[in-house]
Order: sequence, then C-alpha cells, then structure tokens
Amino acid sequence: MSDRQLADWRNHALNLESEVNKVVVGQQTPIRLITTSIFARGHVLLEGDVGVGKTTLLRAFTRGIGGGYQRIEGTIDLMPNDLVYHTYLGEDGKPHVSAGPLLMSGENLSVFFFNEINRARPQVHSLLLRVMAERSLSAFNSEHYFPHMIVFADRNQVEKEETFEIPSAARDRFMMEIPIVVPKDDGIMEALVFDTKFHNVDALVNTVKADVLQFDQLNAFSSVIQDHVEASDTLKKYALNLWKATKAPLDYGVKVSGVDMNRLVLSGASPRGMSMMLRAARVNAWLNERTAVLPEDIHAVFHSTIAHRLVFSPVYEMRRTEIAREMLVGIVNAVAAP
Amino acid sequence: MKTTIRIFYWLLALTLAPQIAFAIDSQNLPDAPSGIVTIKTIDPVRLVGYTVGDIIEREVILTIKQPYKLIETSLPIAGYEKRYKGQVIGIELKSVSHTKKEHSGNATFDIKLAYQIFTNNIVAKNAALGPEYLNLINTKNSKDLVKFRIPSLDIAISPIAIFGQVKIENNMSPLRGPLLLSSIKENQWLKLSNGILAISLLGLLYILGQRAWLPRMGGTFAKTHRAIRKLPSTPEGLKQAVSKVHESLNTSAEMSVFSNNVAIFLAKKPNFSPMTGEIDQFFSLSRQVYFEPNAAHNLGANPLRWLQDFTRRCRDCERGLLPETLTQKSGR
Repeated sequence: MSDRQLADWRNHALNLESEVNKVVVGQQTPIRLITTSIFARGHVLLEGDVGVGKTTLLRAFTRGIGGGYQRIEGTIDLMPNDLVYHTYLGEDGKPHVSAGPLLMSGENLSVFFFNEINRARPQVHSLLLRVMAERSLSAFNSEHYFPHMIVFADRNQVEKEETFEIPSAARDRFMMEIPIVVPKDDGIMEALVFDTKFHNVDALVNTVKADVLQFDQLNAFSSVIQDHVEASDTLKKYALNLWKATKAPLDYGVKVSGVDMNRLVLSGASPRGMSMMLRAARVNAWLNERTAVLPEDIHAVFHSTIAHRLVFSPVYEMRRTEIAREMLVGIVNAVAAP
Repeated sequence: MKTTIRIFYWLLALTLAPQIAFAIDSQNLPDAPSGIVTIKTIDPVRLVGYTVGDIIEREVILTIKQPYKLIETSLPIAGYEKRYKGQVIGIELKSVSHTKKEHSGNATFDIKLAYQIFTNNIVAKNAALGPEYLNLINTKNSKDLVKFRIPSLDIAISPIAIFGQVKIENNMSPLRGPLLLSSIKENQWLKLSNGILAISLLGLLYILGQRAWLPRMGGTFAKTHRAIRKLPSTPEGLKQAVSKVHESLNTSAEMSVFSNNVAIFLAKKPNFSPMTGEIDQFFSLSRQVYFEPNAAHNLGANPLRWLQDFTRRCRDCERGLLPETLTQKSGR
C-alpha cells in the first residue's frame, strides 16, 4: 500500500473522529483512544459513571465505521445462551428460536457493546472472552465468525453490590480500558443539559456521517499499519524498560504515596499487554503522520493499555484506579529514552 | 643731725655707685675692635608667615678673644618688649639662655634666644628680631668698655586670615602652605570602581567560563556542553551528543523529559522558558537520530554544532542568565 493510501485512510480516520466529536463533546481523548483501538483491532473496556455518553459514543462510531451494532445489558441472571439466542412463543403458538445479539448481525457485526459487564456472571464472561479471543462461536451445530467485531464493555466501578469482578486474565483480553468522565468545561456541561440536540440520542447519532470507514477493510488495513510503522532499537529498549518497571517499579525509583511498593505489584503487564500497547502506539504514530513509533506514542496509550492489566495486592485493589495512575505516571517519569 | 644726714648721703652714694657704673647705655659705648669678636648665627629657615603666638628661635655663637670678655649682665633680659622708635612692636623676648666655653685665647658663648610674636595685621608687614647689644670689657684695662651688636633678623608677620572673601585655591601666596586636596572621596570611588570591575570580571568569567569553580557553574548542561565540544562530527558522535542532552534535560527536570511534557519541565525550570522553541527543535533532532531516520529536522547540515550552541544556551539558563539571541540557528 502506498503512502498515499495510508494518508487517505488517515484522513478518513480523522474525519471519523471529527464526526464523533460533533455528537459527543468534551471527550477528545477517549475518542482518539477508541479510534486507535479500532485501527489496532483491540477490544475496549470503558470505565465511567452512568449517563456520561458511552452508548452514544459507541453508536456514533458504529455509524461511522458501518457494520452491525449490538448491545446487551449485563445482569445477574444473564446466561451465556442469552448472548447467542432467545426463545419465544410466536403468533402461531409454537416456540421459536431467534438469533441473539452476537449472531444477529452475522459476520457484519462490527461493534458489540456489553453494558455493565461486571453485573454478569462469570459464565457469561467466559463466553464473551472466547468470542473476543477467537472471534468465533459454536452454536446450532455450526461455527459462526465475527471477523470485524470489536467488543466494548462497560463496567461500573462505583457500585460493587451484586457484581462479579472481572478477573485479571479476562481484563488482559481487552486492549484498552478507557475512562469516560464528565467534561469539566462549564460550557460543555451547560450544552449537555440545555442544548436540545443532545436530548434525542437517535437523532443525534444520525447526524454522524455514515460509513466514513469500511468496517470490513479494517482488519487488512490494520496489518498494513503495523507493518508500515517501525519501531527503532531505542524504542524497543524503552518499551522493555517500561515493561520491567511495571513488574518492579521500585527498581526504577517509582513510589506511590501511602503504598508499600514492595507489596503493591503482584504481577506487571503481560507480554500480550505489551504487544497490544505497541500495536496501539503504532496506530497513534500513524494517526500523527509518523512512520515510526516515538516514546510519545507509547505515552499516549500507556495508561489505557497497561493500567487494567496490573495485578495489585488485594489490600490495594480498592484504590486501583488512583494507584495505577500514579504508578504509571511515575514509570513514565522515571524511565528515560534514549 | 647734719652728721646723720651726711652719713645717709654717703650710704646712698655707696649703694648706688655700682648701679650707676653698670647702667651704662650700651649704645653709647664704642664698638668692639674688629677681630675681637667672631659671630655665627643659626636662624630659622622660614622668615615669613609668622603670626601672633608664634615663637621664633635664634642661636648666636660668639667667640670673644682675650683680653676682652663678655659682661654677662649685658645679655638681653627675658620679657623685654622690643620697641621701634619708642613704639612697642609686638615682639617679646620670651627666653634667653647661654653656655660658655673657655679656651686658651678666647671664650665661646652659645646664646639661645626665643622671641614670641604678639602682633598681627590684616596684611603682611615687616618686623625684626633684635638687634641686641652686648657689652665687653678689657680685662687688662677695666675702663676699656666696648659694645658688640648682634644683627637683627628681618621677618615678615602674616595675617591669620586673608581679608575679605578669597578663593583659597587661587591664593598663590608662598606664605600659605600647600593646599592639600582631600582624596577620601576619590579613594572611595576607586574602591567602588575596583569592586564593580572585579564583579564584572567575575560575571564575565561566569558567563564564559567552561569550568565548575563557581556556584551553579557545574550544572549538568555545563558538563554536557563541554562533553559535546569534544565529540567527533560523525553520526555516532551526534548520537552520543543527543543522548547526553537527553540526560541533562532529565537530570535538570528530575524526571524523563519528552516532547509531550516539555511544559511540565518549563514549569519546574522557568529559566529555560526562552528555550522553548529550541527544545522542540532538539526533540525533532532526537526523533530523527533515535526513532525515525526518515523524519526531517531544520537544523542544517551540522546538527552537532547546533547542539553545542543549544547546550551553551541551556547552560546559561541553568546559571540563571538570559541566553543570548541566536543569530544563526543552524548549519554553521
């Protein structure tokens, strides 16, 4: 693929960002990270309070990239088969089986949104994680493939009752965990409340230009990006040092206030996590018109790709978000490149 | 009664006779024969500028040959006020003393006279010490009495102050001593100027100095600047130079500095604010050298030279100085 085509795709990607930014205001960083994950072909865990616009955000992206969008709500009585099919009595009085959210769009499924994933049982998590890893599902005596699917899952970090914490192995399947917070700008907050265009989500999403990207070409183009954007030896060394620092932050002089650093980290970033980080960094470099990854590209995705993979001592789990942020900022500040 | 009166007169005559004999006016006596008396005077060097209260000393050395000898009672008496034409001239003989040395054919008298001035005037006027007259007697002929005149010494009596408003610097009178100018102010200015000069030189050395012998001179950018100057102008040298600058930035900021956190670095080290643009240029160079060989930088053909200038200016910032303006940014 020529540089011209890479540039064209970049323009499309930036155009998509621009379209989404019009309907979801004050979320430039999450939008950039979601764009990155789309081109890096990684699943995303969204973290945020209720009603901050996560669904609108995903619907807007889905409209921009095309393909099918499916959503399911995590509840304590949700069973794995609820993702695959549901049964009902038809008008003819006979039982009928229809495709569930996973199968409904077939191979054209591009975005699958699992809302409040931590309210679902571990059995449901298991099924979803398999689908995420293999992008396939066995059902009705046949194999179903979802080659273009990206899973976006949301978990409510505030409420803990009747929830099932996603184990670290499951979290590791997600490329990123992206925090979605309410914008702090007074003007944006006022617009979100008083501007009537934000009241009707369907109409709002319909303002996004449809099919800016071709969802069924993203896999192929993602490989092109990964092949095209290089990583120098210095950058590789830097990434390795970052990885080591996530395992033994004290060796790099990283400290977190009020935390015993000798006890904090049970497990640092996984090899899969680091490879996903570098995939995302490459996409970030491409989005910024670079042909090679810079440390700044890693910084742009470091927290969102690594924080949710860290395994802390249980005593520190309650403060995970705050501790992970401080620790990763300390690592970026401590590790030099070159 | 007559006898008593006669005896009284005889006694009176006997009593007054010697006084009459010695009360001879010296000026009426004949002068001493020449060659009898040799005189030498030691007069003060300064003969002018005397004023009321001054004491002027003279020393007169007389050698008197035998058979004459000095009638010592004819020596002038201390306290005697000198007169001229019967008028007191305001000069008094304050003290007189003498020593005498006898020799085989003569005698030497060393007479010390001290006069004190008791007069003044609004303009300078002449005055004289003496003359003094001494009487000599011939030891072989007691009736042979002669006088010897000690010559007067002319002096000038000066007023205490010049009459009227006078600019003292224009008074060229030799009677006035040399006018000494006060050099205290000049000395103070000299010391101040020397101090300013020393500080200026120190500042110049501080700015231009390559070594670390003053506070804040041994900063990380000073060391890096020295190191970079020694590096060869090769790709490997450039790589080392960029790495050293990264180390300096990190050391200075106490954190790893990247192009996306330069603002944090500048907030911690506001001295480097004038370097904002050049720091960005440095990161573009670093990007090309270490991460993206295809990337372009606008630092010309000799980026190592640019790095030398860059680190020198960073060194100035490190020392709290305002870096000089770059006239030529690249390719020198």
